[in-house]
Amino acid sequence: MVSREDEIRLNELENQVDNGGGGTWEYLCLLRKLKLRRSDKVLTHGLSLLNDPKKRSALAAEEWTLYEQVAVAAMDCQNFGVAKDCLNVLQNKFPESKRVGRLEAMLLEAKGSWAEAEKAYSSLLEDNPLDQAVHKRRVAMAKSQGNISGAIEWLNKYLDIFMADHDAWRELAEIYVSQQMYKQAAFCYEELILAQPTIPLYHLAYADVLYTLGGLENFQAAKKYYASTIDLTGGKNVRALYGICLCTYAIGQLSKGRNKEDKDGSELQSLAATALEKDYKYRAAGKLSILTSTLRGLKL
Amino acid sequence: MELGFVAGILGVLILSHAVYSTIQYRGLLKITEQEFSGPPMNVIVELLLGLILCIWASLTVPGKFKSIHPDSKENRIVSLTANLDFMIFNHRGKAFPSGKDLKLKH
Repeated sequence: MVSREDEIRLNELENQVDNGGGGTWEYLCLLRKLKLRRSDKVLTHGLSLLNDPKKRSALAAEEWTLYEQVAVAAMDCQNFGVAKDCLNVLQNKFPESKRVGRLEAMLLEAKGSWAEAEKAYSSLLEDNPLDQAVHKRRVAMAKSQGNISGAIEWLNKYLDIFMADHDAWRELAEIYVSQQMYKQAAFCYEELILAQPTIPLYHLAYADVLYTLGGLENFQAAKKYYASTIDLTGGKNVRALYGICLCTYAIGQLSKGRNKEDKDGSELQSLAATALEKDYKYRAAGKLSILTSTLRGLKL
Repeated sequence: MELGFVAGILGVLILSHAVYSTIQYRGLLKITEQEFSGPPMNVIVELLLGLILCIWASLTVPGKFKSIHPDSKENRIVSLTANLDFMIFNHRGKAFPSGKDLKLKH
């Protein structure tokens, strides 16, 4: 999870590295730690490190992880020559390694030879049927071939065995949302929130799914989760603020005919509206008028 | 920073001196066969002084403290990781290959 100070440090390093300053290795380590996908930058800067024999020897044992990182980035940038070269170096160093075998299968997958990649993954799984990474790569392969239902099935089987894998739950939730199967996506997000309750972005995504499902209880639950997102981000998340306003409006629309309950929520809505206006005044003053007219329309 | 360090060392020295004085005082009391009710007044003053110096040093030497709150300005989570385990290579970037001329030189 990328915190604000991580993001600031990352942007600093990126600027520094792009403009020719040092700090390439620190930048690449930070990318590896934060698990971000900046393949073009990794490729250019990683290769500049690897092609320079002095800098390479300065890395000592870490150079193999750098080879792996650059190989994956090269596959992502469709530069299969570099990927193959890195893999050859790794193969020479670690001849019987599963990790290198996985990278080879990934290269086949990236080139588009699905059948051979499937064979490679199956053989890797025969040796070790509980290899998490290979299972996940098979799901990714099904997804990239367009076989979404197959991917869902494989991922469900994987999650039956490895229930604690947050990345897999997140992937399943996103696949369900892309297929508009919102009830199942809500279940996945519930699992994620149970496992990692301090990450506000899961609360936000869950609230979005609930709001999309609609219905009075879902709107009320969505409002609660938008509120918890605001709590966890210290009020800086604009989407959650908008979510509160829209949920209050939707609840008001639905319960128009029924008896008006105690409006303790209206305080929340006016606070959210004030926070939104303050944020817009600070960051996008030109759009403040659009915001005020929208909010006025919502309060009816 | 150095002042905090010096204050810390001084505080530890004062505390150890207070310990030594107390042990000597007890030895003296044993000789004169009196009961040991508590360390003498000057040792207590020395203890308090050593305590204040050590606390001050331990707060200033480590530098800036990080915030505990998950929603503080530095700690709040801005974005999620990119879920690299499920990365697919069949994306639109195929049409714009970057770094095509880059090579590994050995």
